[in-house]
Formats: sequence, structure tokens, C-alpha cells
Amino acid sequence: MTEALLDVQDLKKYFPIRRGVLQRVVGQVRAVDGITFSVMPGETLGVVGESGCGKSTMARTILRLLEPTSGKVEFEGKNVVGLSKNEMRAMRREMQIVFQDPYASLNPRYTIGKTLLEPMEIHHLHTASARKQRVADLLDRVGLDPDYTNRFAHEFSGGQRQRIGIARALTVNPKLLILDEPVAALDVSVQSQVLNLLKDLQDDLDLTYIFVAHDLSVVRYISDRVLVLYLGHMAELADADEVFADPLHPYTRALLSAVPVTDPDQKRERIILKGDLPSPANPPAGCPFHTRCPAAMEICSKQVPAWQEAKPGHLVACHLYQ
Amino acid sequence: MSNVLEVKDLEIQFEIDEKYYSAVKDVSFYIREGETLGLVGESGCGKSVTSLSIMRLLQDTAKVSGAILYNGENLLELGPAKMRGIRGNEISMIFQEPMTSLNPVHRIGRQIGESLMLHKGLSASEARLEAIELLRKVGIPRPDEVVDDYPHQFSGGMRQRVMIAIAMACQPKLLIADEPTTALDVTIQAQILDLMRKLAAENNMAILLITHDLGVVAEMCDRVAVMYAGKIMEQGPVREVFRNPQNPYTIGLMNSIPKLEGPRMRLQPIEGNVPSVRNMPQGCRFAARCPYVMDICREQDPGLLGAGPEHISRCWLQADREVQTQ
Repeated sequence: MTEALLDVQDLKKYFPIRRGVLQRVVGQVRAVDGITFSVMPGETLGVVGESGCGKSTMARTILRLLEPTSGKVEFEGKNVVGLSKNEMRAMRREMQIVFQDPYASLNPRYTIGKTLLEPMEIHHLHTASARKQRVADLLDRVGLDPDYTNRFAHEFSGGQRQRIGIARALTVNPKLLILDEPVAALDVSVQSQVLNLLKDLQDDLDLTYIFVAHDLSVVRYISDRVLVLYLGHMAELADADEVFADPLHPYTRALLSAVPVTDPDQKRERIILKGDLPSPANPPAGCPFHTRCPAAMEICSKQVPAWQEAKPGHLVACHLYQ
Repeated sequence: MSNVLEVKDLEIQFEIDEKYYSAVKDVSFYIREGETLGLVGESGCGKSVTSLSIMRLLQDTAKVSGAILYNGENLLELGPAKMRGIRGNEISMIFQEPMTSLNPVHRIGRQIGESLMLHKGLSASEARLEAIELLRKVGIPRPDEVVDDYPHQFSGGMRQRVMIAIAMACQPKLLIADEPTTALDVTIQAQILDLMRKLAAENNMAILLITHDLGVVAEMCDRVAVMYAGKIMEQGPVREVFRNPQNPYTIGLMNSIPKLEGPRMRLQPIEGNVPSVRNMPQGCRFAARCPYVMDICREQDPGLLGAGPEHISRCWLQADREVQTQ
């Protein structure tokens, strides 16, 4: 078996809640509360969940854009938690991120050329002329005119900006791309252009993706395996086809049934969850989903369900399968 | 069944650098009593501007022409006082952002009761009781307590329920919902759509639902109008349009959405970008992106041609297969 490219073990990220003049810590927001998974080279792992489930925090914590509270993140066998600043910077050549908002993630004062040159300068890659050539090649590769290098971000549409964001991430030749809601801000016709681009780039450049999104149909389209998060916890992890064909966790089922489909004749049984997401500052005891779960049993409010294999390769945290 | 609302040849122009450009043109549609019409399209297609023009909420700098008939009366010709009598009373509106559309410094109960005092002449204490009743109807727990809460104490889904309670207060004949669930998570979206459907049925209320999500349209609407670059490209009963789309833009939209079921096929995006309002092509506005484009498409707009009962499409391809209706 091949080695995992990325191995995340029991990753936690808590944010302190401070109150009063002395800013004493009075509680903690458990944004990411014990996440374990690995990603194989060339694979796309989709991470889904609703707002507040910790998916973006998880993405940032893996890259140490946020410092993890505890846990291990191994990239090619090397733990990135605890690396010095310089070591971490070198490590970031291997793992890059593309953000959701193509309007906020590009510097408005930089030309596109400068935006794309900067990562290569920081990492001392190539000669000056080779860098320029690479910028032109990358723009072409993501479907933009190489003559755009002197333009500024505001001159581009949302879809074009997202292409620039992808090109910037690719400048340093990373192995792993973390894509944090890369198409959420785009219209459907442009969204499909960017999704196809991501698929082509992955094939051509042997990239590995962690694709974070709330849109289940997008995740199904792009992912090999899918991880479902709820309130900072893992609910379910399996092959994409398996998750969508046979969802085991009641939360995954509710999530799938809630997506409106473009077929007016399809009458599906809809599971409407009651209430809102509990606060991650004050998570429920036992299974985090038990307060809204249609299948909740007595044990669910008392004991955290173990993360275990319910079917071969299909992991779930739910008392129904224990 | 009679029409609650009829929009005829609506054109909305905005001034840019001392020249007027049409953001919306040749838009005509109707909504019957108790019916839900979906207005669907991508950003910038003019769907929100259209809805604001019905409520006469556009700024004075916008030039609106055509007719917007509500119960036979042209809203575009009403004076401010008469229009106020309709707004929030006979026609009400909910918006995408439940946070920015509620007043942060007033209690929920007061915001719900305001239109009842204004339009129905209720006293403050009567309005408060009615507000509690409305909160109960939209499924907010402990309505008699939260009636005195402020918007920031509510979650996004709960705020949208409050917005709906405000909109429903005077039992309007028509509800305009502009992307009411776009800011919400899918499980909360399902709750809100369910609530809207239930309330509409109970009160025989018509809904103009503005959205970019074809799934929401399929689930909620009786009929749909697909807009592109300020014009309606296709209009018809939802089942007709989804089962048998005629316009290349509608077909393109459907092909660019990943599906939840069936084989995972490569998506077929619509290539290119939406034309800018300052630089609209003279012929069909979709011509530059259309895979079936012909010479005539670049020269002349085909107009809306019949494609079936109540089903029309703006496409030259339709000219050869035009179905005569009526």
C-alpha cells in the first residue's frame, strides 16, 4: 500500500473565550474537536458540513495558519506541528491553499503578475526570467490570457479571480492543495468551469486535494472520498459514491435529503431537522448531534459514539452501528 | 383564477456616465392567485432589480417604464401614500440577508407589530399579542419570551423566520422573496422553504421567488421564468421547463449543475462570461456564449416564441418549431 501524503491525527483547535477587564479565559469554542484522517497521493478528499462545523478551521489548522491546540499533522511522514517558522515556510511549498472569496484574497494593489511572482520570490525559485515565463505559463494553464499580468484584481470577474487564486497556489509546485469553498461565491455556469479546471489540473500535475465545501453536489462531483463533519466532530467518512448511495449517519442522511434537486417530479422523503446547530462553546454531552437527531436513543446523550468501521472502508460515529 | 400581479414590458434603466443603460428589458410575466412563480438567473441578470421595481424600492435615478399591474392598478403610477398602503400590506417582501434587513436596535415584537399598527390600526398591546401569535406560526419556540428579544439574539435561520413573520403580518396577497434561503445552510433552508410553502397554502398567498438555485425552483414553484442579461429567456410551467427545456441558456444552466444522483459525468459549463450592461449585443444577448449560434442571432433578437402551453422561449431555433398557443 502506498504511504499517505497527509496524515491528520486527533487534531483539535479550541479558541479561548475571554471576558472582563482582565480578559480571563472563561470558556472555549471547540471548533475542531478530534479529527483523524489521511489523504493518499493523487486523491481528492471532500470535507462537508454546515457553517460552524469546523471545516474551514480544520483547513487552516492543517496549514498552521491557525496553531493547532493539539494533535498531529504529518506530511510525507513529517509532523508539521512544532516546526519552526523557517521550516514551516519551506513546508508550505508543498501545501497551498485556495480561499473562498476571490474578492478578498487577492491584494488589490498588486498586479496579477506581482501576485503570482511573490510566492516564487519568497521561496527563491527560478531565475527572474524563468519566473516571468512561469507566470505566463500558469495564466495560460488556468485559462487566462498571459497578457493580463499588468492588470489589477478588480479588473476581473469572480470566476477569473478564482482562476488567479488557483494559479497563485500552483506557482510553487505544491503536492497538496487545500481548497476552502473555492466555488461557493461563483455562479453555476462559472462554477462548473472552475470545477472542470480543478479536475484537469489534478490529472496533469498529480495534485492531491482537500476540497472543503458545503455544497453536497459539488463535493460529490469532485471527491474520491468524503468526510462529513458536525460541530467539530467527524460524523462519517467513506468513498464518495458510498456516502451518497448509502449514507449511514443520521446527519448525513438529513443533509442529503435537504438538498433541493432539479427534478420537479422527484418526491423524496425529506428529513427536516429540528432546531439549530448547538454552540461549539457549549457542545451537548454525548453525541454532538443527539439534540437534533431523529434517531436519538438514550445512550446518545450520555456517551460519545466511537469512530469505527460500519462497513469495509465506511467509517461512522453513531450508536446505531455499535 | 385571476392574476394577482401582471408585469408588462418592464424596462429598467440606470445612468452610467450620463448615459442610460437597460439592466432589465422586455420583461413580462404574471402571477395567479396562490401561485408560486420562480424568477431564476445568475448574478447581474436583473432578477433582484425586477423585484425591487415591483415594490417601487428603486432609487429615483432608475428609469422604470412599462406597467406593473396589481389588481388591475398600475403600481408605477401610484402616489407615495397609496404605494405605502400596498407595501407591507398587500405585497410584502423578504430579503436574502436576514441580519441587515432587521433593525438591530428594536425588539423583534415591535418590528413585527409595526405594520399591523400602520396598516390595520391595531394598538401597541394588540400588535404585541398578534406578534406573539405570528412568531408561533413561523415556528419560533417560546414566542411570548423572545418577542422582547433583539435580532442579534437569533440565529440566521431564526432571523429569517422573523422576517417571514413580519412579511406575513398583514396577510399579503403576494410575497416577494428575494433569495430567502441563500445565506442559510441546507438543513435550515429546508425548514424555511417548508414553512413558506405551508403559510402560502394556508393563506392562498402568491409568491414571487427570486433565486439562483434551480433546485429550489423545482421544489417550490408552479411556473418559472429564466432570466439572462436582463431579459426573460424562457418561461413556462416548472415541469415543462425542467423536463423539456427549449432555450440553450436553460439547457446550459442545467448541464453545469453537478447532480446528487446518477453517474458522475463531466460537467458541461457555459463558456465565456455574461455581457456587461454597457455593452449589450444588439441581437440575442446569449449569442456570444451559445453553442447553437447562427448568423441571425447576432443581428436580431428573436422575441419570445411559443414552445407549448404557457411555455415560451427566446430563441431563433424556436422559430422553426414554434407552437401556436391561444
